[in-house]
Amino acid sequence: MHGLSAAASAPSAVTGAAETVAILVLLSEFAMLRAALSRSQVRLYAFQSLAVAALAFIVAAERHIGELYVLGGLSVLLKVLIVPAIIYRVLREAPDDVATSHRFGVASMVLLAIVLSGFGIFVVGTMPIHSKLLPVLALAVAAAVILVAFLLVIVRSDVVSQAVGFFSLENGVSLASFVLAAGLPLIAEVAFLFDLLVAVVVFGVLMRVHHGRSASLSTRPLERLRG
Amino acid sequence: MTGVELAPAEIQVLQDLTILVFAPFVSGAIAHVEARVQGRRGPRILQPYYDIAKLFRKETLVPEDASFVFLVAPIVAFVCYLTVPLLIPVLTSYPLPLGYMGDILGGGFILALAGFAVALAAAETDAPYAQLGSSRAMTFGALVEPSILFVTFTVALLTATDLPYFEAAAVRPLGQAVHPAHILAAFAFFLVVLADTGRIPVETHSSTLEFGMIDEARTLEHSGPAFALLKWGAAMKQMVLYVILINVFVAPWGLAGSRQLGSVLLAIPIFLAKALGLGIVFAVIDNSFSKLRLFKITEFMAAAFLLAVLAVLVLYLGGR
Repeated sequence: MHGLSAAASAPSAVTGAAETVAILVLLSEFAMLRAALSRSQVRLYAFQSLAVAALAFIVAAERHIGELYVLGGLSVLLKVLIVPAIIYRVLREAPDDVATSHRFGVASMVLLAIVLSGFGIFVVGTMPIHSKLLPVLALAVAAAVILVAFLLVIVRSDVVSQAVGFFSLENGVSLASFVLAAGLPLIAEVAFLFDLLVAVVVFGVLMRVHHGRSASLSTRPLERLRG
Repeated sequence: MTGVELAPAEIQVLQDLTILVFAPFVSGAIAHVEARVQGRRGPRILQPYYDIAKLFRKETLVPEDASFVFLVAPIVAFVCYLTVPLLIPVLTSYPLPLGYMGDILGGGFILALAGFAVALAAAETDAPYAQLGSSRAMTFGALVEPSILFVTFTVALLTATDLPYFEAAAVRPLGQAVHPAHILAAFAFFLVVLADTGRIPVETHSSTLEFGMIDEARTLEHSGPAFALLKWGAAMKQMVLYVILINVFVAPWGLAGSRQLGSVLLAIPIFLAKALGLGIVFAVIDNSFSKLRLFKITEFMAAAFLLAVLAVLVLYLGGR
């Protein structure tokens, strides 16, 4: 009931869109965490990137920042099309899809991730950065996305998960940057994307080398070699 | 408009009757749609009524070691399913007097009591499959509980009460219905309903294979009128859950706003239409997914829990 009046005075379309996109991004991060097949992880990553790019377009339209259109277009091109295509190619050459690279049961991983994202959300919530223009919720969810992406890298022991986890980390960061500083100079954001491109190349090489050496995408053989 | 005004008590009786009379119809219609989607002709829509009528004419057999619990449990469960409709908005958008008797948790307790009675009756028999069903049903029921609790928390945070009528009233303006927390909670509850009505990712409700059964296996040993009550009760439970999902969370529109006989009666076909719409969604899900392995069901429950927890977290920060 109190919620109603507040909802009527909801700040702006940007806030609503940012919150929705942020939650979609977080949910796809969770889905990546539990997805059994590498291919579906890549598809989820493409979807997540699309959501982030959509947010870029929305913010650009709402706040009249022309550069953001360019950035959104660039990230669609790079993160929705090129990066997934590259990983798909690597996967085609290494057809042994890692079925179960979970270190824990899926349910416990999800519970762990819930705790982590709760931590992220509460930490941002307690920070004294409340302002009318700032969708705190979207920022908090972005923090949760970053934490869950770390978890994805930690608890899945295959190369693709670790690469996808790293890339989606970048999605979380750009989500936060769109929310926090939409007008961040284009050059800085393009630098992010360029970083990502380099990371993709590096990860592509790593995946291929690793697969060439151990005939598998799992990182467990690496652990066995130690000591 | 000058029509006959119903007393609140009459409306509450009418709510119960709606559930009682139309629950088998909804089940039959869904089974029919499901068969059509699969390219079969399917049973008649009224088939559940014929089944129940037939079972009432049959004799009751009791396993040797079973006590009176075996025979009382179906009646207890049936009465529980008749009690819950008093608490939830089946036909009216305004709270009826008995609606204050219990909140969402109260309704949940009564549903759980019904489940407990049926499970107890199944445990009474010495039959392995019935006991397996009752133990599984209790286990997975316990796993669903946290999601229901967090959905209730969301409701409580949104409306400052946990009465289903107030949640429905809060959702009715469209602006609130698209609130992220509400969508998450509604989706979580959707998954809960999917699990509780024995639908496909969790259980194949129409299968005859005992190893995959959860809820269905509990009633294997019952026969005659007791079994009829259990079947009827299962249909009513499904309809009660549909009422909560539709009239509280997803689409609380089309309910009677006054006590006029006409508008209250009109609410019945509107609700049936909504229930059938939901049933079609369930039928499509039934046909597009495969049943999860038993040990993967926890993942499904974890997904529902995740959505419900996110809803609460979103509300904590969203503050709207």
